[in-house]
Amino acid sequence: MKRFSLSSLVGTVFTLIMAGIWIFPIYWAVVTSLKNEEDVLTTPPEWLPRPLSFQAYSFVILKSPILRWYLNSAIVSLGTTFLVILLCMMCAYALSQLDFPGKNFLYWLLLAGFMIPGQALIVPLYQLVASQLKSVFPFIGSNTYLGMILPQVISVIVIIVYKQFFDAVPRELRDSAAIDGAGSFRILFNIYLPINWGITWALAIVTFIGVWNSFFWPFLITTKTDMMTIPVGITQTQDAFGVRYARTMATAILAGLPVVAFYLIFQRRVTEGIMMTAGLKG
Amino acid sequence: MSTTHKTLPSPKSPVPSKPWRGRKLKMWRDAFLLIAPFFLLYFLFFLFPTIRAIQLSFTDAPLVGQGNFIGLENYQKLLNSKDFWRALRNTGYFVLLTVVPNTAVGLIFALMVVRLNRLRSIVLSAFFLPNMLTVSVVTLIWQWILDSRFGIVNEIASMISGQEIHYSIFRDPNWAMVAIAFITIWWTVGFNMLLFIAGLQGISKEYYEAAQIDGATGSQIFWRITWPLLWPVTSLVLTLQLIAQFKIFDQIWLLTRGGPFKRTMPMLQLVYQEAFQEFKGGYASAIAMVLFLIILIASLVQYRLLRTGSR
Amino acid sequence: MFRKLSIALALILISAVYAQTTVTWWDFLGGGDGIRMKKLIDDFNASHDDIKIDGTTLEWGPSYYTKVQTSAAVGEQPDIMTYHLSRYTLAIPTGVLRPFSEEELASVGLSTSDYNAAAMQAATGSDGQIYGVPLDIHAIVLYYNKEILGAAGLLDDNGHPNFTSSLEDFNAGMEKIKAAGSIPLAYPGDNGTTWRVAYSMIGQQGAQLLDENNKVAAIEELTNAVSAIRGWMDNGLGTPNTEYPAAIALFTSGEASMMLNGVWEVPTMVDLAAKGELFDWGAVEIPTWYAEPATWADSHAFAIPNSSAKPISDEKLAAVLEVIAWMSKNSLFWATAGHIPAYSPVTDSDDYKAMEPNATYAVLGEHAFFDPKSNLAGAAGSPLYDAVAQYLMPAVNGQLSVDEAIEMFVEDIDSQ
Repeated sequence: MKRFSLSSLVGTVFTLIMAGIWIFPIYWAVVTSLKNEEDVLTTPPEWLPRPLSFQAYSFVILKSPILRWYLNSAIVSLGTTFLVILLCMMCAYALSQLDFPGKNFLYWLLLAGFMIPGQALIVPLYQLVASQLKSVFPFIGSNTYLGMILPQVISVIVIIVYKQFFDAVPRELRDSAAIDGAGSFRILFNIYLPINWGITWALAIVTFIGVWNSFFWPFLITTKTDMMTIPVGITQTQDAFGVRYARTMATAILAGLPVVAFYLIFQRRVTEGIMMTAGLKG
Repeated sequence: MSTTHKTLPSPKSPVPSKPWRGRKLKMWRDAFLLIAPFFLLYFLFFLFPTIRAIQLSFTDAPLVGQGNFIGLENYQKLLNSKDFWRALRNTGYFVLLTVVPNTAVGLIFALMVVRLNRLRSIVLSAFFLPNMLTVSVVTLIWQWILDSRFGIVNEIASMISGQEIHYSIFRDPNWAMVAIAFITIWWTVGFNMLLFIAGLQGISKEYYEAAQIDGATGSQIFWRITWPLLWPVTSLVLTLQLIAQFKIFDQIWLLTRGGPFKRTMPMLQLVYQEAFQEFKGGYASAIAMVLFLIILIASLVQYRLLRTGSR
Repeated sequence: MFRKLSIALALILISAVYAQTTVTWWDFLGGGDGIRMKKLIDDFNASHDDIKIDGTTLEWGPSYYTKVQTSAAVGEQPDIMTYHLSRYTLAIPTGVLRPFSEEELASVGLSTSDYNAAAMQAATGSDGQIYGVPLDIHAIVLYYNKEILGAAGLLDDNGHPNFTSSLEDFNAGMEKIKAAGSIPLAYPGDNGTTWRVAYSMIGQQGAQLLDENNKVAAIEELTNAVSAIRGWMDNGLGTPNTEYPAAIALFTSGEASMMLNGVWEVPTMVDLAAKGELFDWGAVEIPTWYAEPATWADSHAFAIPNSSAKPISDEKLAAVLEVIAWMSKNSLFWATAGHIPAYSPVTDSDDYKAMEPNATYAVLGEHAFFDPKSNLAGAAGSPLYDAVAQYLMPAVNGQLSVDEAIEMFVEDIDSQ
């Protein structure tokens, strides 16, 4: 028994060392961002932010439209998440619970989407959104929220996860409601949704984080500073001038802060969400 | 659900049971209304661009516009292009450097985390937090950490060795790709770890208790119980990794732009440059189609291999 | 209903009084450049009731030009944009630039003869049409620490470095600085700096990099140039593998006594000096390492994107021309960002001639060596720029031998 606890202690210490190494780059970025620009370059390095300075943060917050970018990111992320959850849930319900012609074909069509690298489609997608669709619907196009949101709504994995969870709901529940005359929409929103709130939250959170961090599409489709999201906007504050390590790190920290805070608050849900999204068989 | 309620006619449906045909039609209508919104977007923003990309790959289209049909010319040009083979080799090397290591590290971290009690959520957060960051933030942080003049890694190396070290790993042709692979693992391994934790928690405690009573050693328990029972998760992680890593582009573009001397240039960089810098939309689409084909074949091969692996 | 109508009517009336034209403006100007350009835009807006500039600053680099191209193709382009003249030969055939007529320029009192001839020539296409109006000329200069160089006896009576008339001279001077315990030269190890320095050296040897068939002609001169830079690194005179901001930090902290970099870093020095955080510094034209003086130079120009999807309206065109004229005439302030204004009445003024350090290196305007007029050349993402990044940058920094690098470079360019 003694030997067991000693090896357990060694294991714990090793785990803690690894965790420390893993988190160190983020720690060092935070420390750098809290120094004065000239104190960043001291040798030997100062391991704590001494003297503590918020110079870099005040510069980034006051001199760049970062607050506006937060707002844009919030609108795009929340809007996309809402639509992903609603549309994918509806679609998954039909695929899971209803019989209709062409169902299998549609399901396979969805699975094919996994394989194609999204970046390979940007040329036609850009043409479509910025030009072809815009001429019909002026509210879609470059520098519009819908132009950023709609192409990100097609999240196949959310459908697949929902379908698995709907498949597992006992059939009697649906049948009895159907005999009561309830339509598919009422059954979905009054029965299937309430018993799947857990997975809905988890999927929403995972989707939200993914959209918040998405870079390439919002980058292509925005040309106005006022319409940029956080990951796009911060690249615009990167300019090839002067010494600006503290400022660069402050920008990086500010960009990451909302999602990291979000994770720390909803840690259990995030973890659950990822585990559930992977619950499918490959 | 009360059974008595079921037998009572519902006020909303005066006819207790509709004719069979009517119910079927109603179901079809409901199904259509339920799937239409999503599939409308799916056709518009996924299938249509996919078909367009396939079509463009047979044309000399610029970045925006139709172009003329030129048959297989783009594909011929591709096969004779040095850059194409170089990019293919680099992408393969990156896949090699990440798929299995990222899976293995994820498993090791998961094993480390599940045996903890009080420290568990802190350690889990430490391993998982990088996953929350967007790619540009990840590369900004690592560029600073590994900066040749003022980066902390060079500072520490200088302190240990007692001489000034100004090493720039992103400029080293032999190590740049390894560095990118390491950063990719640092960034994404938390995801794999979570999947493995889920898998480990799904293994019934009884197996371990029985094994301990039999006096099995730690490594025996791992290889006889954990490994085989975890295999479905392992093969899932490997599959997801394989598809994801073939699509490598963002980190490389932000860290090395494919250099030094194209040693880290991946397939998607070629697509991006041909389309958005050289304005050759048709040729870029052809490269993208080849990449798609490679991913498809690799996934199928791996699927077969993993199936035999589970036996 | 009546209320709505009256509001609408009022709006129409107001807009008739203040018929304000909004000009959408894109630039890629960050740092000290960006701050100064924003001030110019604000001043313009304050002095014009009828025109309002709506400015957006995008990231400097290949993505800027991609964005211009794609947005013009779908009719989402700005009304006016900044553009590097070095990219003109690449850009004009793609049809992304709208030509200006002499009459259009004359309508706001401008004439091509008012501008620096070399820059204006670079803005002119092979068809003789003018595709942009130059704002400035920017080049690389030699920044130096007067305190260290003075102590080492390396300054002349004017306080300028006295060892810049040949490569041997320059190297000998740097050896003295090294012996005095300082890093002689902060060299930003990025592709931009490598291109600018090596290309200047080719010009100083009296050569042209490309021949008329777009093949590399100056192989020997290029080899000399890359070997010379590599020599600084190998002999401990330069700073191999140093990123752009690190090189500036080495110079401004006093660790390195000189730096080769663009005039756009002048604001960095001026601002630090104003805060009392910088030593006595200076900036001069780069050394004449070879036979004749020559300095790589490029130019920011104003251009109008050409879009068949949505051509510019006459009203906007008039406003854009007014903006260009105003910016040209007020470009003295732009010179505080280190640049040399392209509008001659400004550079001929006494105010400009008294401006430091611009006046010291103003002479380089005569030795300006612009990028090759080739569709392979151009700042921020062109085949030449990319080949420098892939092959010459590793050669300078020690990851590749000079001969191998030149061989790969030539093969890459000649196969384009």
